[in-house]
Amino acid sequence: MIALTIDAIIAIGIVWLALQTVRGANVFSAIIMFIVFGLIMSLAWARLHAPDLALAEAAIGAGITGALLLVTWRRVHVLEGRTPQVGMAARSLWLTLPTALAAALLIASLGWVALTLPAEPATAGELAWQRLPEMGVSNPVTGVLLGFRAYDTLLEMAVLLAAWLGARVVASELRPGALPGPAHEEVPLVGALLSLVVPISLLVAVYLLQAGGSAPGGAFQGGAVLAAGGVLLCLTGRLESADQTSLIERIVLILGLAVFSSVGLMMLPLGEPMLAMPGVWAIYLIETALLLSIALTLVLLFAAAPGLRRSS
Amino acid sequence: MSATATIYLLTAAAVFGIGVYGLLQARQILRQLLAINLMGGAIFLLLITLGGGAEGPPDPVPQAMVLTGIVIAVSATAFALALLVKLQDATGSSDLDPPDAE
Amino acid sequence: MNLQEVVATALLLSGCFFYIAGTVGLLRFPDVFSRLHALTKADNLGLLLICGGLAVQQGSPRIAGLLLVIWLLGLLAATVSCHLIARRALQMTDPEQRP
Repeated sequence: MIALTIDAIIAIGIVWLALQTVRGANVFSAIIMFIVFGLIMSLAWARLHAPDLALAEAAIGAGITGALLLVTWRRVHVLEGRTPQVGMAARSLWLTLPTALAAALLIASLGWVALTLPAEPATAGELAWQRLPEMGVSNPVTGVLLGFRAYDTLLEMAVLLAAWLGARVVASELRPGALPGPAHEEVPLVGALLSLVVPISLLVAVYLLQAGGSAPGGAFQGGAVLAAGGVLLCLTGRLESADQTSLIERIVLILGLAVFSSVGLMMLPLGEPMLAMPGVWAIYLIETALLLSIALTLVLLFAAAPGLRRSS
Repeated sequence: MSATATIYLLTAAAVFGIGVYGLLQARQILRQLLAINLMGGAIFLLLITLGGGAEGPPDPVPQAMVLTGIVIAVSATAFALALLVKLQDATGSSDLDPPDAE
Repeated sequence: MNLQEVVATALLLSGCFFYIAGTVGLLRFPDVFSRLHALTKADNLGLLLICGGLAVQQGSPRIAGLLLVIWLLGLLAATVSCHLIARRALQMTDPEQRP
């Protein structure tokens, strides 16, 4: 009974926050509402027995996405000379409301049909649970991510890299000076905060990485926490944009893909299929490379720069 | 179908509908991006609810897929935001239909 | 319900009360500075009570230590962001209207 009340409160909160996101008076408050929406969603993930997702949603969905949205809002806001419009001018309400209702009805009926179907005897999930000991990790999500569905994770890293490459190509055509840098004056407390928080974010990232084998965690959550530390450094002016991507940055950016593919090809001469893991050490090696790549890619996406350097 | 699953299913449907409404009636591109992310979040919620997360041992395959989906959503959003800044720089406006053009 | 659960529930409920008080302050106070005051003071205390309640509920010293670190980090984050917001708000107000 109490659990149902909590679920109802979370559900009402999620729907209300979504409404505030689309009907916010200005874009800034809409973005803030979206960030809080992500945080309440991670509560929903916790309720649905998905702690890995709760960590990922809080770190990536709410944290990194929120930071990206806010920094882009600031750039667009500053570039715009005139006052921005409220943007609530509706295109024919008769068109939008029925479409939205039809979409909601579609999702609801889809879910209802799928939930009332008789359960399949041998789903992929049950197979994953049964064959999990082969992977050597006891966290089933890590086993699925890096073992049974390793292709998806490999190509997901390719998507992340492609997004950064695309952003880099687009950003390289901007007029010089189009992107305002961070406005930072030396505030006394910030230095103390950074000296505490950035090492802690590194510690938490590495902990999440190694805990991903047996507890909720993994490379993505760790990479997002490390990226959050990097974003803090960019925001406070400790890291600046550089015009070129340095060699180390290039190596780290493709490290995830490179290590993943090489380990995946290792077993081919022995007759195993591609991306078969030679042992549990391979999973941890790949996850370490993924953590570094993800963190650097996310920080570079935030800074909208080809590279970073320490500010003088 | 348990009560928890029903609650989250209805939530996913409602948020998806709100996202569609927001996408269709927003004039500024940032709002459209927010609406698209709302729709994505709603679909993730639907996937996990369908995966039996509400009762019994959790199914790890949809959880892994939604984790992948969250990372891909942030990649796509980041690229779209870069495009938005470029659009703003090139045309001086971040709306799709600036009022002067009408 | 034994003593441990009663104490834990009492701590959690009082933590929730302080959070509600801070939110009411956020909604009802007239300007940025008083809102910041209500928010950070009430929320930090509420976080301490909630962490204390969770620690009592779990009953393990390791978890209590971790929750203490969580509270300290939350305190640090709230302090610095409150300072930054207040500083910016001060810069944006007219010199005559400053409190």
